[in-house]
Amino acid sequence: MSSPRQIFIFPAFADDHSGHRGRELPGLYEQLNLYLNTASKFIDPALGGFDFHQNNFLGDELKNQYISCIYSCASSQILRQMRLSPVYSAGYSMGIYAALFDSNAITLETALEFIRIAYHSLRGTISGTRYGMGTIIGLNREDIEQISRKSNLQVEIANQNASYSFVISGVQQDVSALLSLAKEEGALHTRNIPVSVPYHSNKLKPGAIAFADRTSHLTISLPTNPIVSLIDQKELSTPDDLRQELFRNLFHPLNWLKTTEWFIRQGIQEFIECGPSGDLAKNARFIEGDYRFLTLDKVQY
Amino acid sequence: MAKITESTRKEVTEIVYNFFAEECEVDKSRIDNNTNIIKDLDGDSLMFLEMIEIFKKKYNLDIELKVIGKYAVKHPVATIGQLIDMQLLIIERENRLLELDNKN
Repeated sequence: MSSPRQIFIFPAFADDHSGHRGRELPGLYEQLNLYLNTASKFIDPALGGFDFHQNNFLGDELKNQYISCIYSCASSQILRQMRLSPVYSAGYSMGIYAALFDSNAITLETALEFIRIAYHSLRGTISGTRYGMGTIIGLNREDIEQISRKSNLQVEIANQNASYSFVISGVQQDVSALLSLAKEEGALHTRNIPVSVPYHSNKLKPGAIAFADRTSHLTISLPTNPIVSLIDQKELSTPDDLRQELFRNLFHPLNWLKTTEWFIRQGIQEFIECGPSGDLAKNARFIEGDYRFLTLDKVQY
Repeated sequence: MAKITESTRKEVTEIVYNFFAEECEVDKSRIDNNTNIIKDLDGDSLMFLEMIEIFKKKYNLDIELKVIGKYAVKHPVATIGQLIDMQLLIIERENRLLELDNKN
């Protein structure tokens, strides 16, 4: 029997690591310790003290991004060692760095360096105003845009996860206002995302330009499999494509729904979420097609 | 307006129990009407949305999600029993769900 056409998906960052999905993945803890050790030497000594049970970095936006990247990189390496071989991969939001690592386009050290520079470049250009992000479930795009327009809110749709599931990004006060108005309008659920950077919003373009400048010396190699853009669903196969995508990814809205649908049209049969939670798999419930969306605890090996 | 019979209630109950047992990976015998969806089953709002979609398809319901959202703000659902009651109201009243509040 031939293997299913698979892809690896790399999530952004986790809200909780204590119940992580890779607990039974053989060799994961060893791989994680190896990478945490590398990261603590290269990027931040504190990373060596990460503890799954204490979740001691959840309150630190940057460290949490490092940990999520390290976790994703470690788990995908284990899957590769098990002879799983994705035809594509994609990084959801800041998961893009782990996707590049997995396809051998960058090293772990470079992935962490990209994250560090992105964080500081973006923060550097948005100081003085509080920004944030949020999620809205139960309204459609037109509803959200209409509410935002009516109240003149500085908020953008940063990502569409499913027909009725959106991520918004903008000035914190306006994000909170939109969440509240959305609830009044009939949203089933709204939530503030605990971040201070309005990822994937146009506000970050100056920061993204600074990021591109400060990372131009970092090496990106040919990926072993194409990475697919969440912005326009293009296959990215060259270092230039990937560098451009890292730049655009910071300030351009994403569309996870369209990306999933694109993969399904390419005949992808298994999506594997290489991360501690199953948040992306949850959205797959609303996207029809002949495919399976697996979290690490569901992968057959 | 659809008539809710004992058999509809049984069918809805069965679907809700089976759904949460499968999604939350718990034995069905551990679920009863007092089970808290978030605290006891680690459920989430996307499950609630999926549940609505399942019933919309099964009973060919004409109801906007927004109507359910507005109703749910005033009548929050925490337990499996409350969810079943809400689904039955949705099946019964569809887009006229909010008229219940206007009556009271």
